Amino acid sequence: MGKLAGKKLLLLGERDGVPGPAMEACLKDSGAEIIFSATECFV
Amino acid sequence: MSKVGIKSYSYCLNHAPETGSHYGGTPWEAFHSGKEQEYLDALPNHLQSYDHALHYAPNQTYIGGISYEEFEAIPAPWVDKPLPDDKSKRYGKFGELMPEDEFLGLISACDEFELVWLEKSFAEEVSKKLADDPVITEAIVKRVVRPKNMHELSEIETEYKERAGLPLYCGGKVVGCIRSGHPTDPCLTAHVLMENLAGKASGVLALLHLLKNSGMNPLDLDFVIECSEEGAGDVGQRAGGNFAKAIAEVAGCTNASGCDVRGFCAGPVNAMINAAAQVASGARRNIAVVAGGSIPKLYMNSRDHVKKGLLALEDCVGSFAVLLVPDDGTMPVMRLDVLGKHTVGAGGAPQAVTSALTFEPLQAAGLTFTDVDRFAPELQNHEITEPAGAGNVPLANIKMIAALAVMKKAIEKPAMMDFIKKHGTIGYAHTQGHIPAGVPFIGPACELINEGKIKRAMIIGKGSLFLARLTNLADGASFLIEKPEPVAPTSAVSKDDIKALILEALGEVAGKLA
Repeated sequence: MGKLAGKKLLLLGERDGVPGPAMEACLKDSGAEIIFSATECFV
Repeated sequence: MSKVGIKSYSYCLNHAPETGSHYGGTPWEAFHSGKEQEYLDALPNHLQSYDHALHYAPNQTYIGGISYEEFEAIPAPWVDKPLPDDKSKRYGKFGELMPEDEFLGLISACDEFELVWLEKSFAEEVSKKLADDPVITEAIVKRVVRPKNMHELSEIETEYKERAGLPLYCGGKVVGCIRSGHPTDPCLTAHVLMENLAGKASGVLALLHLLKNSGMNPLDLDFVIECSEEGAGDVGQRAGGNFAKAIAEVAGCTNASGCDVRGFCAGPVNAMINAAAQVASGARRNIAVVAGGSIPKLYMNSRDHVKKGLLALEDCVGSFAVLLVPDDGTMPVMRLDVLGKHTVGAGGAPQAVTSALTFEPLQAAGLTFTDVDRFAPELQNHEITEPAGAGNVPLANIKMIAALAVMKKAIEKPAMMDFIKKHGTIGYAHTQGHIPAGVPFIGPACELINEGKIKRAMIIGKGSLFLARLTNLADGASFLIEKPEPVAPTSAVSKDDIKALILEALGEVAGKLA
């Protein structure tokens, strides 16, 4: 548990950067609630 | 056979600023939202003229007007560094940059169902211009002026105002319309049909240039695999296809058949692998991998370009074609034994994706990162993407490859920047989805191999599968292009040879028995 514990998170990923599911995996044990996660493509 | 020859390639652009500023996805959405009038009013002031597009270095690199090495020597920004006139021609080594009026004529020529109506004098004028294009056949020119596709302006106005058609613009005025294909089918609206017919027409142009560049008789083409991101179908089967065969038909390839391969931006690399496997196995004598371009992608990032007072450069429908044939030891080859595959289980982390597409296939082949002279992952022009906040995609990808090379101890960390400069590629393709996905570099890579400047290049495509809401996964695929090696002649053994061997053996046995 870190400083994100109890926080609500909106995750906006990008295909050629860090996609949403990868961020979700990293934050799985952070104690934060992921209320939205998406990956977008701008190209 | 694990290699196939890359006999030829073509790359074309169709300048379409007026079509794009009305029907590109972003302007179209803004128009229908009714909330972005300021942007829509400003966009026409940010359009690039055809002459400016011709002098724009990335465009000339794409069509082969200048070599990749010449392009690499021009530092960005390119928009304020117009090329000299002698390097800004309509026709390049790989293809052409067609102006919008002729593109509308070509779209009309590709229509089989009276869906495109052009104003009579406009159609006659563009048919004459198209007749001067060295790849446009007489049959295509005649199709532009078919009576059923030419109408008076008053009829055209009635069609788009009262029957769900959409006007076509050129020179600031209405010059025709796309008609609705069905009164209720959402897959056959005028907007969908415009996208599909533009994709077909731009694919036809690429295939015609491929035939010219390869010197191949259209009748000798065996198969076409089309790999754009458009969906042609009706309400019962909304992306049933088949663009490939429709494109081959207009190009006069009457002995060819074809099918479509899809996978968002990973479609072209997967199509190349699919085609190469069929040629290598002998299932097809030759295959043209073809993709037309995308109207919805035009001006995709133009909100930001307008906001920042920049030229909106996303004004060209892109297309390409590559001809694969059996390897005969004389032309650059595509290897089938070194393929990058982003598996379902690989995950979406950048390191995992990059490893699956570069390290793993190289390792399996006994190669390492420095054995690849050039990596070509996603070649979007960063002069378009950076102002919109999408960054420099090719640079981001090669940086990830370089970081992985350090992790795998293929290079030392201080050598990363040198690796990026020496082994990366600078993007010059339009943000046309599948078009920039590695494949623009097939042509330059083959040229550099033929000139003895490089030995090996890796083409990488990545697709945003998650956009279709079927899965959260992305996809990716890669392959290597290499210089040719001499092909050992196949020793054909005839019946007579076998008879002679048997007689010789029997003679020896008889001799021993005697």
